[in-house]
Amino acid sequence: MKLAFYPGCLVLQRMPEYEATTRAVLRELGIELEIVQQAACCGSPVVESFAADWVYLAAYNLALVERMEHGTVVTVCGGCTNTLTRGARALQDPGVRAEANRRLEPLGLSVTGQVVVKHLVQLLAEREEDLRARIVRPLSIRVALTNPCQAFRPGDVMGFDDPMEPHSLRRLVELTGAEVIEYGGENECCGATLYLAAPGLALAAGRRKLEATQEADLLLHSCGNCQLLLRRFQRLIVRDEKHLRKEVLFLPQLIGLALGLPAEELGLREGAWN
Amino acid sequence: MELKHPEACTQCGTCVTVCPVEMVGGHAIVTFLAEPDAADYSVWLCTSCWRCQEACPAGVDIYGLMMEQRRREPAPAGYQAAFEHALACGLALQVSQEALDQVRAAWGLESVELPPPNFARNLLRDSR
Repeated sequence: MKLAFYPGCLVLQRMPEYEATTRAVLRELGIELEIVQQAACCGSPVVESFAADWVYLAAYNLALVERMEHGTVVTVCGGCTNTLTRGARALQDPGVRAEANRRLEPLGLSVTGQVVVKHLVQLLAEREEDLRARIVRPLSIRVALTNPCQAFRPGDVMGFDDPMEPHSLRRLVELTGAEVIEYGGENECCGATLYLAAPGLALAAGRRKLEATQEADLLLHSCGNCQLLLRRFQRLIVRDEKHLRKEVLFLPQLIGLALGLPAEELGLREGAWN
Repeated sequence: MELKHPEACTQCGTCVTVCPVEMVGGHAIVTFLAEPDAADYSVWLCTSCWRCQEACPAGVDIYGLMMEQRRREPAPAGYQAAFEHALACGLALQVSQEALDQVRAAWGLESVELPPPNFARNLLRDSR
């Protein structure tokens, strides 16, 4: 099966390991991803903050996906999932759709809004039994989760899992044999988008997670924004408080290990998490 | 302050209790909804996590109100720069085709074409 893949600009430009490991895990399940060429930024949360007609940027990305004729586009960031799904919903309005097509026409594109947008967590959750059967290397580690908040809310539009207390990510991690520790912040935003307006507060939000998850071996997430704040900016939070240091993994890295994929292929050191 | 206080809000304060910005001592627009007289909030502190709106028992479109208010206010430099990049090259983070190819090749990923320059200006006509 082939599906379209929309990495979003953060993952496209800064986190090739997230795309590569997503592809590696899905390949095990018989799913090939075809990347959306010429895709624009999803816009979250920037474009909507300036442009009341943000939906037409989403329409552009959805039009590119529709042209590929795979029916479903896979996303790996909460923000992209949210923006594209809300865009597709807005395009159900005939007036919005007509205006979108007027603006897309000079680019040689058209849009119906009929594409299904699925975050990686949802795609994998729908294949839980298939995944379970393929676990060859159960992991005995303690994992703390951070849910990709925008992938679940608003619940009436995203239509997947419990919007305030989602359980799909936890179930996927438990499939690997890992123990999921509860620390109370699983459903709190990592704070990455706050960084654009108030870096100090963004780091404080990340610090809450690092402080609360000290008994976990690693923090696991499924979003480019979470990676940015919890991993890339971690040194800005930790500074000389070394006890706060924490390994941070993308969901497909952990699942890939349990599927028996080589650590090196997953961007991890050999023998990691044995 | 031009933002109309939505009539459906009952001042119950649920939004504040679930806001991750409040948890680290910042005050986003949810503070305004819970305490209309408070002055120390900023719509730009919202993380777009949608928890307040999901939890609101009155169904107030808090996210929509915050975005509307953002479009009336001066933006922090980081937001402004990201938006201008999005208008100019379609991406919030600027990158050259060459740099992108290098990053992807290191992971054995195929080359990806960037969007055409300035295309976004025709799509987004209602921005400031």
